[in-house]
Parts: sequence; structure tokens; C-alpha cells
Amino acid sequence: MSGSEIIDYAVLIPLLPFLAFPVILFLGRLFNGTPTWVKNVKEGGIIALTVMGASLVLALLVIKEHMNKVGAADVFTWFESSWWNSETGAITTKVFGFGIYIDHLTVMLLFVAAFLCFLINIFSIGYMNTDPINDNRNHRFYAEFVLFCSGMLGMVLADSFLWLFIFWELMGLCSYLLIGFYYERPSAAYAAKKAFLTTRVGDVFLVIGLVMLWNLFEPYAGSQGALSYAVVFDPEKIAMVNPGDLQLALGMMFIGAVGKSAQFPLHVWLPDAMEGPTPVSALIHAATMVNAGLYIVARMFPFFMEAELGALSTLAIVIAVIGGITAVMAALIAFVQMDLKKVLAYSTMSQLAYIFTGLGSALWLANNGYDDLAAFAMGASLFHLFNHAMAKGMLFMASGSVIHEMHHAHHEVAHHGHDDDHHDDHHDDHFDAQSMENMGGLASRMPITATAMFVGSMSIIGIPLIGGFWSKEGIIASAWKVALKEPIFLLPAMLILIGAGMTGFYMSRMWFMTFAGKPKTEVAEHVHEQTPWIPIPLVILTFMTLSAVILAGMHAGHWLGDFESGHYSSFIDGIGYEMEHVFLNPDPFLMVLTYVAIGLSLVLGPSFAMALYGGSLDGDQKAKPWMQWAINLSARVNKNSKFDNTAWANSSLATSLHKRLHFDDVYDAAMLKIVVGFAKLSAIFDTKFIDGVIKTIESTSQEASRRVRSLTTGSARDYIMMTALGTLVIFILLWGVA
Amino acid sequence: MEVEVFSNDFWKAFAPETILICGLLLIFIIPNLGNSKFRIPLTKVRVPWFLGGRRFKLTGSPAIPGILATGTLFTALGMMVIEAIDGKMDTTTVVSGDIIILQLDNFSRFFEILFLAAVLLASMASLDRIPAHTFEGKKSLEELYDNRRQADFYILMLTTAIGMCTVALAQDLFVLFVGLELASLATYVLVGFHKESKSGAESGVKYFITGSVASGVGLYGLSLLYLEFGSLQLHEIAALWSESSVLGLIALGLVLVGFGFKVSAAPFHFAAPDAYAGANSPVAGVLATASKAMGMIGLIRVLLVIALPETGEEESAVWLYTLATLSVITMTWGNIAALGSTNPKRMLAYSSVAHAGYMLAAMTAVGAWKWGEVDAPADYADTIVAAVLFHLFVLVAFKLGAFLVLGLLEMEGGASRLSALSGLARRDPLIGTAMFVFMLALAGVPPLAGFMSKFLVIAGIVSTSVGELWMNGTVSFSDLHWVWWLALAMFVNSAISVFYYLRIGVVMFLDVPEEGRRKPLPYGASIRMAIWICLVATILLGLSGDTLIDMCYRAADSLNLA
Repeated sequence: MSGSEIIDYAVLIPLLPFLAFPVILFLGRLFNGTPTWVKNVKEGGIIALTVMGASLVLALLVIKEHMNKVGAADVFTWFESSWWNSETGAITTKVFGFGIYIDHLTVMLLFVAAFLCFLINIFSIGYMNTDPINDNRNHRFYAEFVLFCSGMLGMVLADSFLWLFIFWELMGLCSYLLIGFYYERPSAAYAAKKAFLTTRVGDVFLVIGLVMLWNLFEPYAGSQGALSYAVVFDPEKIAMVNPGDLQLALGMMFIGAVGKSAQFPLHVWLPDAMEGPTPVSALIHAATMVNAGLYIVARMFPFFMEAELGALSTLAIVIAVIGGITAVMAALIAFVQMDLKKVLAYSTMSQLAYIFTGLGSALWLANNGYDDLAAFAMGASLFHLFNHAMAKGMLFMASGSVIHEMHHAHHEVAHHGHDDDHHDDHHDDHFDAQSMENMGGLASRMPITATAMFVGSMSIIGIPLIGGFWSKEGIIASAWKVALKEPIFLLPAMLILIGAGMTGFYMSRMWFMTFAGKPKTEVAEHVHEQTPWIPIPLVILTFMTLSAVILAGMHAGHWLGDFESGHYSSFIDGIGYEMEHVFLNPDPFLMVLTYVAIGLSLVLGPSFAMALYGGSLDGDQKAKPWMQWAINLSARVNKNSKFDNTAWANSSLATSLHKRLHFDDVYDAAMLKIVVGFAKLSAIFDTKFIDGVIKTIESTSQEASRRVRSLTTGSARDYIMMTALGTLVIFILLWGVA
Repeated sequence: MEVEVFSNDFWKAFAPETILICGLLLIFIIPNLGNSKFRIPLTKVRVPWFLGGRRFKLTGSPAIPGILATGTLFTALGMMVIEAIDGKMDTTTVVSGDIIILQLDNFSRFFEILFLAAVLLASMASLDRIPAHTFEGKKSLEELYDNRRQADFYILMLTTAIGMCTVALAQDLFVLFVGLELASLATYVLVGFHKESKSGAESGVKYFITGSVASGVGLYGLSLLYLEFGSLQLHEIAALWSESSVLGLIALGLVLVGFGFKVSAAPFHFAAPDAYAGANSPVAGVLATASKAMGMIGLIRVLLVIALPETGEEESAVWLYTLATLSVITMTWGNIAALGSTNPKRMLAYSSVAHAGYMLAAMTAVGAWKWGEVDAPADYADTIVAAVLFHLFVLVAFKLGAFLVLGLLEMEGGASRLSALSGLARRDPLIGTAMFVFMLALAGVPPLAGFMSKFLVIAGIVSTSVGELWMNGTVSFSDLHWVWWLALAMFVNSAISVFYYLRIGVVMFLDVPEEGRRKPLPYGASIRMAIWICLVATILLGLSGDTLIDMCYRAADSLNLA
């Protein structure tokens, strides 16, 4: 490969943010509080933005270059180690280093990560730097943020599972730091710990899985690392490996993915992760980092393609079932959440679960020889990942915008316009700026945000022609295709079909509670969109989400699913093809299925939401025309329906939903019983035995030292005597030998 | 290439050493330049004579000797480094008749660089540690003392450097001894340089007396060697060694004592802690690094060049067990004594005793290899010797660096108690961090130079003890050569030593500064620069020591052990 190819610079994509991390921290320490640092550099925000911009540009160049081919580059060789095998007599050389690996999957996630990280950065400058609680510590935020981005970008670009894991852990660390950004709040510290420990459970299994994988491929690895993609994705080598062991290894790795992507049963950390600085940490835990789990599962695709037919189907089924369960469970909990961000958090879980189900289907199909169907399912899942990341990124930033402006409005109301020193008691009062019970009727007051939320919600729900619709239909169809061949798959297929309707309900509920109806508090009446920087990413992402139709027309699904393909038909043909598949599927069963799914998500879910939470705005307020119709419709539905949900709201199911289906309670109890008990035992062992031994060693050695040093009397006479003694000893020893 | 003394080629080859001697002469002359005139007897004609009289303003400055010395050392060192790094050194032998006096090769040049680097760093630090006061007006007695002694101090420093270089170059035990004494006598005076203070005078005298006894014993050994072999030429004795009688054995024992004192091996190390504690810190740093390396040259010459056991001859391995015993005693003694020591300088002194033990262990392994008890490839010996050389060299970075930090503390009062260091990290974070890095390097924490050096030594010993056994597949424990136990002893001792090194870190980072030491550290540009150089070297040589390791290999190779 010639020296001037763009891929040789790809390493800069994660490296630049990584280098920016110490720079921002150091400069922040140095210039904290000075006017230039605060006003012009935004406490490091501008540095981070520059770096992320550079990374984005580089990423786009790399993507342009490698749109349709697989690229790889060795970036550096860390060290080589050689040893001699006594059995074969051969000398083995291992090269340890870092390299870049690019295929369609990388390209897609690289774009998602670089693009969203850049937008979050813009958003953060608006959000973080205008909140006085963050003053003089924003540099810490930006430093951790760029380190996080470096982890995400590096993970996507790495050319081996080992480096993937290293960057994976880097993200885990940053996630911990960012969730606990307000470490002085006990709830934030608790949430950070919880997230870290829960994902740790997954990570332990991931390590076990990787070790097993290494063990399987080591005999065939040659001079490369046994975890590098070049080795593990080699069809011949996969064929040589025992599929049972391979399935176990991949299963262990999947548990790691479950932890990172917050799937049942390791999902408990994600809602609490919303304790981080409002939108940004939330976005990381919604649009980028949680995708790492999906990425690692998607990376397993070649194993399933090449391994013995049917040998890995159990794992594929497990993946799909876990996805199906999570999809419905998270959606159920989202029904009752009042916290704007928590609704989105559960929605994230649920949508990721869809993707897992889709991946599960793709893997099953791949492993059972249906290559075309597998490619379709894979493409649909990854396309959903893309759509979800864009939409969820936008939703979270929009929710951040709402919360931010609610805060501002709250101050105006609470202090009757007294602007000075109104930040001191900022967090003492108990107004909850995140609760949807305090909002309502914001559609006219925050037009950009409301539009963004509107489009984002529609994308997540899967309203036809918008965003996630294209991909979600594909996932549901794929799952059912598998279900027709493998009865166990009926469970996840059924679950995600029901989930589609539930998504329609909770997303609509969220939007109507926040933006439609009359303002529920005085604060909500005073909300304005006023903070600079924040609207930029919202507008960009709104168009991004709407343009999913273009990508669909360009066969994004096919392109993502089939790594060898590079076909673009003309745009009109593409749209026509997709339309036909979605609405007029040649297979009658699938066509019926499509319409059921559309009906559930478009009609049933939203209409329940409208009936319960709809309502018109205040008389003098008017939303933008593209939202006004929905508000009017909701008001009509709300008036005409006699639907009463008090009985349901008081049921025991609702109570346990409020308690997040008791998962946290059960885990806490288990921790208290088992872990704390064990910890106490260990503590006793530690203080009594280990400390005792160490203290004895310490006092004994100090005593020995005192005695030895007392030989150094300070008198030259004694020194000479010792020299004479030493000479004698030397003679005796020499004599003894000779 | 053989050259006669003072021939053209001689000057070409020994240009750096010549510069050193010229620098020394300049320090004699320049501060004495004045307006004195010499009256031709019986006439009234006065001829300007320039030596003495009222000093010129430019030459009379008390800062001149320090600058001259530092400049001289820097120039000489620069020339040597440039020559050595490209690795194309010609071996130059200085002969007079059929006697080989000096030999300039990779080995001697390596040590010369080491010596000059150490002395240069110490001189740089001394510019601030013993400041020259140039201001007009009333001066305190102490300042006057300092001014008077500038020339003395740097003359002694340069003399030390020249003596050490002679040791490195010597091919004749007599020349070696002369160089050794030249350097030693200068250091005795340097140790007692602050003769007004009680500890300075006492430690200087004690160091002198004990050192003289050891030198005397060593010299007696040399004379017995001469009696036995009729020559003090290294190559001649080496050739005749296998036929030596008991007299040779006795001589060997006595010589061991002499050099053992220089490397401060137990039980000849007793004066070292006292000397280090009494001397000012840069000087103590030179004692702990360069002076020790000088002793190691002696040991390498005597044990590895002359008395290296003969392969397969049971009788010839006379000193193996002796040195092994000495090494274990030395490292253990040093570490245990350092554990409880609350004077940082004494602590560093004991730590350097322990380091001496490690190096003796390595030399034992070389002997065991040559003796043929272990079936190891020939380049193993070079590897171990290179590891010892590497260790000696990087000690200049972090042990001298640690002493220089103490020197900085001495500028505001003594540094003889651990509490002098307390809160250092808060008072001056950069210096505190540097000191912590030096301590980590001494403890052998990766990726610093100290790790690399310990790793190389231990790995060398272990691979020697394993030999070619691993070729057979598994190696059973009982097959290992006994030098393996030395590696284990080293390992255990390293673990013990971590305690007292890290205690410095605890004191610096966690304790509150003591009364009277609350203000920022004194500034001192050149001492700080010397500390930075040490710090950078400590980190860089740990991360990528390839160039230095190559130099060490070439140096070890030029001993022609194999």
C-alpha cells in the first residue's frame, strides 16, 4: 500500500481526541476562570470542537475512500516477540501492534460516532457553558468527553478484538466519569458506580469470551495476533474451529454486549445513567456508546456465515429472545415514566432490543444457509442502528433543550425577574425541571425543539416513510421469516410486533405530555428558546432523520448487509423497490404482517396516547403548521374518547412498573445478602490475618534494620575492624574453595 | 592502533582527556591573573608578569572556576558522546616500550562518558549549591568562604574526573591504581569540603582513614601480584593466571578488599553512609554513581579479565562462591539498613550498597558461565556485563538526580532528616514529581530506566542459570544452576526496597511541610536544569534505551570475554 493513502491517516481519527484530553485538562488547570478561557475558548469547548471537527473531516474522507471496499492498514508495530518451539523446531514471531480495519460496518458506525460526537460537542457548548453550576469545571467535562469520543472512534476502527476491548473499556471509564460528573450529588455518584459495576459484570464475560476465542484461533494465527480480524474472520480458520466452543466463546462475548447495550437482565444501569450532565451524557448513553454492544454482535456475522450449518443457531436464538424480552419490558416501563429523559432512556433500551432481535435473526439465517435473507436482516438491523442513533441523538438533545429552558424559566418565575445572584439557590428548591408533569403546551414556545422531538418520535415509532420506519419493518419482517422456519423464534417475533404498538404509545405520550395541551405549571408558561448553540444540532439532525428515505432509496439496507455489494440503482428505482417491499410485499403473509405493524405503531399506540394525554394549546398560542394538526387531532380524540385509565393506573402492574419491575430491588437485595456478607467476611480476614502478617513483617524488619544500623557505630576504628573481618571472611571463602 | 605516548596520534585519540587537563590548568591560572609586575633585579624596569597582584575584574570573579569547569566537562563529554554514538571507535593502545599503558576502546570510552556525565551534572548543580557571590558590599563569613573555595572545589571535581578516566583507560594495574588514588584523594577532600561543619570534617576524615586502609590492603595485593607474576600488565597476568600459586590467591583476596571498598560492598561499606551524609549532595551523588562505577571497573578488570575461571577446570573458580556470598550479604544488608533509615542521604547510601550487591551477583553469573557449569551460549556473558554497564549508567540519571533534589533542599538548610522532604510535592510540584520518578526508578518500576536495568540484570542471570536447558522443553527446578538463587535474592531484595523508596513519596505527597519550610523552594537555574536532565534521561532511557544498550553491548564486547 502506498504511503499517501487516506487510510494511513485514519489512526488520527481516534488519536486527535485522545491527545486533546490531556491538553484540555492541563490548559483548564492553568487558565481556569480567566476571561479568555471562559468566553473565547468556552472552557475547552472550542478545543474539543476543533478536534472533533478534524476527526469528522478525516472520517468523512476515509468513508469516501472506502465506501465500497474493505480497507486495512497496519498503523504501528508495538513490539515483536519471537520464541522457539521445542516440539516443531520452528521459530514463531508474533507482532503486536495496532491497525485499522474498514468495511461497511465500520464506515456506518464511524460516521455515526464522528458525526454525533461533533454535534454533541456543539450542543454541549450551548448547554454546559450557560449553566452556572458547571462554571470552572467544564474543562473536566470536555476532557472526559473527547476521551470518550476517542474510545468510540478507536473501537470502531480497531482491527482486532483485543483493541476493540481496550477502547471498549476506555469508554466504560469515561462513561463512569461522565455519569458521576456531579459527584457531589449522592445520586450521581451512586448512578456512576451502578453503571460501572453493572457493565463490569458484562465485561468480565467479554474478557472470558475473548480469551476463549484467542485460545480457539491461536493455533492458526501465525504471526498475527489471534484476535485480529484478519485471523478470526478467515473462512478457512473458522471452519477448522470446533463450533461448540466457538458458540460458547461468542456467547460470553454476547453477555458483554448485553451489559454495554443495557439489555435484560443487565439493563438496570441505563436509566440511572441519566444523572450525568443532562443531555450529553444521556446522548452518549443513547446514541453512541450503547451501540458498542450492537457493534460487537454485528462483528460476529462472519462466524455465523462460515461456521458449520446450524451449529451456532442456539446463540442466535438467545440473542433474539433477549432482544424481544427487553423490547417489551422497556416499553412497558416507559409507559409510566414521568421523567422526560427516563422515557427516552427506556425507549433506547427498547429500540436497541429491536436491533438485537434483528441481528439475532440475521445470525440465525446466516448460520442456516439463507445468505440473502441474512444479508437483508443484517442490513435492516444496521440501518435501524443508524436511524435510531440519529433520531435518539436528536431526541435527547431536544429533551436537554426543554430541560435547560425549563430551568431558566423557573428562575425567572421564582425570582420575578431579579437577575442578579439568582443562581445560588439553584438546586436547593425542589422544582423538577425534568418531570413531564410540569410541562405541557411547549409546542408553540419552543418551535425548533418541538419539531425535532416530533420528527424524532415519528422516526422511533416508525411512522411510514420517516426514519426508523424503513429499518424497523425490515427487522420485524426478518424475525417473522425466521419464525416461519424455527418455531422458537415466534416468541421474539411476537414480542417485537407488540412492542411496535407500545412504542407508538409511549413516544406519543411523551410528546403530547410535553408539547400539547395547556401548560401544567406557571414555569412552563415562561419557557422560551433562547440559548445559543443548542438549536444547531437539532436542525441538522431533523434533516438527517427525514433524509433516511433517501438512504433507503439508495439501498442502504442492502449495502450495509452485504459487505461485497456496492450497488446503487437509481434513486427512483430504489424508492420504488423499497416501497414495493414495504407495502406490496409479494409474500402475502409478510404483506399482512407489514400492515399489522403499521397499524399497531401508527394507529393504535398514538391514539391511546392522544386519548389520555392530548389537548389543544392555550387559546392565544399556535404551533407550527406541521405540528398543529397533530395537536388538534389529539384534542379531538381526547374530547371524544371516554377512555378512563384510573383503574389501570392503580393496578399492581402499574405500581411494579413504577418500581421498574422490581429488578433494582431484587438486585439490591441480592447484593446485600450475598456480596455484602462476603465483603464483611473478607474485611475480617483482611484486618485480622493480612494486616496482622504485614504488621509483623513491618515491625520485624524495622527491628532488623535498627540492629543492622547499630553496627554503623560512627567510629572509624570499628569500620577498619569490620574491613579486617571482611578480609578474613574473603580468605576463608577463597581457601575453602581452593 | 598502537601509539607512542605524546605522538601525534596520541593527541588525536585523547583529545577529550587533553581538554580536561587544559581546563584544570586554566582554573589554576585564570583566577590568578592580575596586574602584578616583575622587577628585573638591579634595574628599575618592571615587566608585567600578570600572575598575582590585584586581580583583573573579569578574571577575579569568583564565578569563573565553576563556569570553566562546567564548560570543560561539557566540551569533553560532547566530543566523547559524538564519537561513541556512531559506534565506529578504533581501539587505540598507548605503549611505551613493550608495556601497554592505556587502551582506548568501547569499554573505556563508555565509562569515561559515564564519569564525565556524573561530574558534569554535579558541577552544574554545585553552581547553585555552592554559589559564588559577586555582589559588592558586606559579605557574611560563609559567603566569603564560598567565594574563596570556588577554585578549590572545581579543581577537585576535575581531578576526580581525570582520575576516573585514567582508571577506565588503564591496562596496567599500577596505572589503574594511580588513577584510582587520584580520584579517591580528590573525593576525600570533597567529602570534607565543608570543614567548618562538624559532620563535614568528621565524615571527610573518617572516609579518608577507612579508604586509606582499604587502598593500603589493595596495594598490598597488587604488590603480591607483582611478586607472583613479575608484571602488572593486565594481559600478562591474565595469561599466567592459571599457573598461579597460593600467593596469587592471597593477592586476589586483598585486591577484592580494595575494590570492594570503592563499590561499597558489605562489610567494607561502613564509611559510605557517613561520607554521603556529611558531604554536600552533588558530591555524594558523584560518590554513589561515578565512584562506584570506578570500583566496578577494577572488579571487572581483576575478576573477569584476569581471574576469569577456565572452562572445565574445577580449581579455577576460586572467587565464585566468595563473590556470591558477598553479593547476597551486600544487597540484604543495604536494603535492611535502608528500611529504617530516616536520613534520606543515608537511605540513598544504603540503597547504593544494595545496588552494589546486585552488580556483584551479575558478575558471579558471568564467572559461572565461563566456568562452564552451565551450558550457555557465548553471548550470555556479554549480555550480563552489558546489563551491569547499563545499570551503572542509568544510576547516574536517577540516583544522582535524587541527590540533586536533596541538594536543592540543602540550599535552604540541611536535608538530613526525612521531614525535610515533607510536603515537597505541594511546595514545588515539579521537583516533587521528579523526586518521585527517581524513587520509582530506583525501586525498578516500569517503564522507567531503573526497571530496564534491573530487568536486564535479572534476566541475564536467569538465562545464564537456565543455559541451554530450555532447548529440551521443560526445565526442572533441580537442573537450574545455583546462580539462579542470586536472581531470586535480587528479586526479593527489590521487593523489600520498594518500601523505603515509596516512603519518600508518601512523605512528599501526603505530609505537611515542616516549620520553616513553607516557602517555595529556592530557585537555582542550573541545579534545576541538572535535575531535568536526569528526569528526562530516567524516562527516556526506560522507554527506549536501544542506543545505550547497544553502547553497553559494544563496551562489553570489547572486553573479549568469550
